[in-house]
Amino acid sequence: MKRLLIPAAVLGLSGAVWLSVVAQDKAAEAAAAAPAEAKEVVCFESRQGATEVTQRELSPGLLNVKCSPTTGAALWYGDPYDGTVPMGKMPNMDLPEDQAVVKPRTEKLSQLAACGTACHNGTYPKGFPTSNKPVPIPTMEALVPELKDFQHGRGAIWCLDCHHNTQRNKFSDHFGNPISMDQPQQLCGKCHGDKLRDWRDGIHGKRIGDFTSTGKKRWFTCSECHNPHNVQHGETSRGFKPLQPEPPPQLPRGMADASHEKLHPITH
Amino acid sequence: MLLRFVSDYARYVLKGGPRFYAWMGALSLLILGMLFVFYLQNTEGLIVTGMTSQIHDGLYLANLVFLVGVAAGAVTIVFPAYVYHHEGMHKVTVLGEMLAISAVIMVMVFVFAHMGRPDRLWHMIPPWGIYSFSSMLGWDVLVLNGYLFLNAVVGFWYLYAKYSGKPVRKGLFMALVYVSIVWALSIHTVTAFLLATNPSRPMWFHSMMPIRFIATAFAAGPALIIIAFLVVRKNTKFWVDDSAIQLLATIVTWCLGIALFLTLSEIVVELYARTEHANGLYYLMFGLHGLTALVPWFWSAVVLMVLSFVLLLIPAVRNDMNKLPWVCAMAFAGIWIEKGMGLIVPGFIPSPIGEVTEYHPTIFEWMMVLGIWAFGFFILTILLKGAIGILLGEVRFGGQPAAVGAE
Amino acid sequence: MSQSAATSGTTPAPPASANPANAVPRPTRRGFLRTGGMLSVSSLMGTAMLMTASNDAKAAVEWAETFQKNYRLMTEQERQEARLRLEKRYSAEYDKKVSVDIAGPQPGVLMGYALNIRKCIGCRRCVHACVAENNQSRGERPGERIEWIQVLRMERGEFTKERMDQGYPEGLGIQVGGNAYTPAGVQLEGQYQYNPETVPEKDATYMPIACMQCEKPPCVKVCPVRTTYREADGPVVIDYNWCIGCKMCMNACPYWARRFNLTTPVLPKKDMNPVTHYLGNRPRMRGVVEKCHWCLQRTRHGRYPACVEVCPVGARKFGNLLDPESEVSKVLARKNVFRLKVELNTFPKFFYFYD
Repeated sequence: MKRLLIPAAVLGLSGAVWLSVVAQDKAAEAAAAAPAEAKEVVCFESRQGATEVTQRELSPGLLNVKCSPTTGAALWYGDPYDGTVPMGKMPNMDLPEDQAVVKPRTEKLSQLAACGTACHNGTYPKGFPTSNKPVPIPTMEALVPELKDFQHGRGAIWCLDCHHNTQRNKFSDHFGNPISMDQPQQLCGKCHGDKLRDWRDGIHGKRIGDFTSTGKKRWFTCSECHNPHNVQHGETSRGFKPLQPEPPPQLPRGMADASHEKLHPITH
Repeated sequence: MLLRFVSDYARYVLKGGPRFYAWMGALSLLILGMLFVFYLQNTEGLIVTGMTSQIHDGLYLANLVFLVGVAAGAVTIVFPAYVYHHEGMHKVTVLGEMLAISAVIMVMVFVFAHMGRPDRLWHMIPPWGIYSFSSMLGWDVLVLNGYLFLNAVVGFWYLYAKYSGKPVRKGLFMALVYVSIVWALSIHTVTAFLLATNPSRPMWFHSMMPIRFIATAFAAGPALIIIAFLVVRKNTKFWVDDSAIQLLATIVTWCLGIALFLTLSEIVVELYARTEHANGLYYLMFGLHGLTALVPWFWSAVVLMVLSFVLLLIPAVRNDMNKLPWVCAMAFAGIWIEKGMGLIVPGFIPSPIGEVTEYHPTIFEWMMVLGIWAFGFFILTILLKGAIGILLGEVRFGGQPAAVGAE
Repeated sequence: MSQSAATSGTTPAPPASANPANAVPRPTRRGFLRTGGMLSVSSLMGTAMLMTASNDAKAAVEWAETFQKNYRLMTEQERQEARLRLEKRYSAEYDKKVSVDIAGPQPGVLMGYALNIRKCIGCRRCVHACVAENNQSRGERPGERIEWIQVLRMERGEFTKERMDQGYPEGLGIQVGGNAYTPAGVQLEGQYQYNPETVPEKDATYMPIACMQCEKPPCVKVCPVRTTYREADGPVVIDYNWCIGCKMCMNACPYWARRFNLTTPVLPKKDMNPVTHYLGNRPRMRGVVEKCHWCLQRTRHGRYPACVEVCPVGARKFGNLLDPESEVSKVLARKNVFRLKVELNTFPKFFYFYD
């Protein structure tokens, strides 16, 4: 009996070794198909309320944008040029036609059409101020609630410094020429020249698409990130409304929670 | 002739009483556990261990590094035996080489356990794979395999010579012995370099690592050898000379002292200025951000090492064969903790960009560790038993086991 | 088995069983065990052969993939074969048409990256955009969710009365310094798990960290099989099929840029991005290392990486360092730029700047 014990043990051991060596990978788990979403998914890029994108399929399997399930942020672009129009001619920017595209802001401004016709039809309305002193107008403040506490310039500028006085669906330069709302950089650069210079070179602001210097890019225009009517977060956020962050990374195995991160040797 | 040697060797090893088979049986059970965890790791992945992307070298690398030291410790027998012609050591050299072989095999199995894809290890072997000369791990694999080869050749050549009655051909044999002495130093130095050449890990990035590794290796290795020799004395008819054991005890004492001195100097240098580079050591000694899992391990290692050093200094303890194994076990345990929990794991805490996490090994990791140690002892028992049989003359070419040979 | 023959006078007749002609194998325990053992071994071996040879074509493809060469050393033909194998495998696995690109470095391009730390608000959208693009594992068990970018939150640190007079921050040693300690700019004790209502917080700054694509990468030096290497156009890449998972590169990286696949990656089919690159975002396997590669599947065709495109504050800039007109070159020319851990001589191509 003992004579057989050794060979049997050897056989058993080698069998076990063989098994452990040739074991195949556990098959990757197949996730259940997600139920079809009837509601449409909308996410925002930088400024909530001004940069919304609706998710749709560009071609089978290719979405135009992927949204964050927790914060509603746009996380991924299937086609960076989706929904864009050419930027148009810009002074000091020598770009070939169609190389620079932007998402038109004019489509997003819900009251833009009304501005041009309902109250301001190209002529001075009744009661137009004769001096440069802003007069609070209840209708305006109801339409754009941020104007209640207008801080841009800290009392040094007012509405008609940016908005055209007769064509209310346009901005204005210092000479009274209208600037399209799709080219806010021409307006903002009037005062924020260093930012404009950096924006033209791609250092300030954002461009997506082709990174080569001659490639086609979608440029994000000023008002896609900044809200000129509400600059109250200037001190800490440089003009941005704080965003909800995406979730933190997964805690590694062995850590129950992250409370240890708050304990510094430098006591608080 | 060679085949007869192998079969006679095997037959002698298989002859054993109930205690022998109980020991081997218990080890086999643990080995089965090891095989089970290998299976898990090859199917599920290393997620069954406590390793994370932050702390990705855990118990396996810790034991690996420690065992390289134990393997290198065999040189503390070979060196006095052949260079200083220490008579007592000369008789037991081959037993030390057997220990080195088992330790290196354990190291290799730990490497298999530690890798993400052990099935791809052939990628390291030219011509099918690529051998990178800049990689310390590549050098480590090379020197470990070389050390295994050297010890196997030298050890079994000696045994075969004794078995067949023919004397060993001095020239080549002695050359290999001298090479193996230097090679032993190299295996642990390269392993130290593996860790110490990473500026990303400030706790390891200092030139004291290689010397500290050698010092602890020459304390842990001989400690284990002493215990093994005393077990051999008790369970076989082979008598290891007192002079051999005492020389080993002296080596353990002084190398332990050097290791303690190096640890002390590291603590002083790091904690004097207490820069952020000392965060790893601080975590080990006192905890960081309220996380203190390793603090008890560190201090118990310190107590074990200091206590065993002090006890070993006392001749009454060092020469007492009843007390000596206990003190050696204390030293062995202390160095095992200090090398594993005390060096490998804190090197990752905090991560290079300041994330502090902790490492909690799982039951599967412990099963694998125990299983590989059991595997090593399994092989050690087989090798030592056969070697002792040959040294005693009970395994001899052309003869049945001698009349005096009993089970 | 010697039978002792009876030698004395009257020989008793040997039993019938002693006659070889009558030899009938008596059932013995030994015999039973032997036959039983043989039977089970042979049936096991037969089953094993049947299992492995179940699908000859699939087995042949798996064999070819298992034994393929290091990507760097493959010929163009071998690369095409490897890519076709992978496309077939991924398409079957994820139920969609997956493409595996093998585009090489473009001449005249050296990719560079710049991040404006004054702008970063710590929103972590870059982290999640990267995950949406690059097919990382995203399971629930600890270790199954991999993200290549980590955003470090650093406290601004004020000198308030409550914080003074606390002595040395770690409470250890003979006090020779003052009492005015602040964690401003402290990186190695930073926080990664912050989760406030909104960002940026008033008392914090943020700095995302991912692979720096070093020009002298420590990870490349320590790789024993040269599976990770620096490509000619800049990024440091990994051949996932060649990686042995030894994690030496993870030891060596000073920026904790590399992640390990502790298990088979969890990647739901609907989340899988089918536009992949062999060295880039193709789905990985258990036991290999992965990291940021500057979205090779995009950048080798001129598109911005996913993190650059998603940053809502425009903090991330990317371009060709060899082109003086690119935004990154302009950042280097015009802005104040620094790199992390520059004393380690890794020469990262990921620059931080502020304006």
